[in-house]
Amino acid sequence: MHVPDGVLSPAVCAVTGAAAAGAVGLSLYKLRDSLADRTIPLTGMMASLIFAGQMVNFPLFGTVVSGHLIGGVLAAAVLGPWAGLLAIALVLAVQCLLFADGGLLALGANVLNMGVAGAWGGYVVLATVRRLLGDGLRSAVAASVAAAWLSVMAAAALFCLEFRLSWASDYDFSRILTLMVTFHSAIGIGEALITGAVVSFVAVQRPDLIHVAAEGRRPIANAGRAVLAIGVVSLAVAAFLAPFASQYADGLDSVAQWTGFDKLSATRPLVFEDYNTLVPGWEKLSTSLAGILGVAAVLAIAFVMSRAAALRPPAAGTGHVE
Amino acid sequence: MSSSYLDRYGRARTVCHRLPPRLKILLTLAVALAAAFVPPRMWPVHGVLAVLVFVGHTLARIPLAYLARRLAFFLPMVLVLSISVPLAAGFERGWEIMWGILFRSSVAFLAVVWLVNVMPFDQLLVTLRRLNVPAVLVSMLAFMYRYSFVVWNELEKMQTARKARTFGRRRVWSRWKSASQLVGMLLIRSLDRAERVFGAMRARGWDGRVRTLEE
Repeated sequence: MHVPDGVLSPAVCAVTGAAAAGAVGLSLYKLRDSLADRTIPLTGMMASLIFAGQMVNFPLFGTVVSGHLIGGVLAAAVLGPWAGLLAIALVLAVQCLLFADGGLLALGANVLNMGVAGAWGGYVVLATVRRLLGDGLRSAVAASVAAAWLSVMAAAALFCLEFRLSWASDYDFSRILTLMVTFHSAIGIGEALITGAVVSFVAVQRPDLIHVAAEGRRPIANAGRAVLAIGVVSLAVAAFLAPFASQYADGLDSVAQWTGFDKLSATRPLVFEDYNTLVPGWEKLSTSLAGILGVAAVLAIAFVMSRAAALRPPAAGTGHVE
Repeated sequence: MSSSYLDRYGRARTVCHRLPPRLKILLTLAVALAAAFVPPRMWPVHGVLAVLVFVGHTLARIPLAYLARRLAFFLPMVLVLSISVPLAAGFERGWEIMWGILFRSSVAFLAVVWLVNVMPFDQLLVTLRRLNVPAVLVSMLAFMYRYSFVVWNELEKMQTARKARTFGRRRVWSRWKSASQLVGMLLIRSLDRAERVFGAMRARGWDGRVRTLEE
């Protein structure tokens, strides 16, 4: 998931960096009243928890490959959107600076893809689903499952967009989107399962830790919520409908030409190949299939998990796993 | 997670380690920027950058084997990412872009690895503060760095305890369940610890600012 340096063009790096800096600044501004308070240790601790939690392996059905947590939605579910975004940004900064995992210049893009899409977008989905389903345990689990899956898809779509704008003329947008969306609908199911399971465990043991945007507990302002909701919805639409609307890709092309992005790519071989070397319509079919299967699987997971969480009584005592 | 893995050579004393902290950050940024900015057709510049990074690592006495190991984890990931360009064009073009991405990202990656290994994290935090990064962000970063080792140790303890109490060859579903319970329990304990630490720091007069000896 981490974008290294050299993958995105400098212009895209600059724009995403500015956007990410703005997002972090807005979060700091929103938290300004509670900053001298316990927010600093809580956010730092949550960041180190996500950092450590990413080392826990979730085996993938008999293969050597294993999944791990990404954590944007988990952070938003516990800390709320503002501190959640900061926690993810911290994790990404440390991964970039210490592990060189994710590029220095691409840090902004990474914060945008995982922090903004994960914590803010995830929080919008969380808040919306919880408003629809009420404040119970089941709605918390179902909301976190849906939010986790959507956040991974949004991150994949955002990355495709950034990649597209970086190498404007040299690749076929719908085909790469197909690849990314297909892969990530599977990765997203893993993230949804993990996040849902962790949230259901915490919500049963310590329901007070799950952030609830009740009245007076700093919910997102209505305007901000509307903007974020529009953003998330448009990303979802982009992820699923872009392969169908060929005009959309053309629109991006013209945007790229208009802004001069297409001049950035150095080599530009003659474009005279037929793009239908694969089965015609394959990408549309497989993208929509992946989308439909993903949505169905996530709905099923949300339903089953929320039922299971509701049935399980809190463990006796402190409930230590050890 | 032993702390030595991350910035293993950060405390050594070589020419590179004695450079002013801000210069180290600027140098790294400059190399990463140049690697990303310069178009592929100006390949001599890229050659110079690669030589520069190599010389930097040599002067800092970072062993080649360490770099090779870091690259071995890094390259497959970028390869998967960059091969999607030729793949999207039906393997007929886009190869130049793929090689460009691989080369540029490797140079930038090695530059950041150099920075980490000539500069301990605490020095980096002080420098970030001097470069006008918001104090709150730097305090959070310091807090996170300090406690990721604690949380990691706690996780290892819990994993050992779980291993001692369960048999092997369980089904996938039960392993997922216990792994997610592990993360959930770790979350509860970490947040409780944050509350305790906050109380203890408050009792000792903490007001949200991290002070260093150099101020």
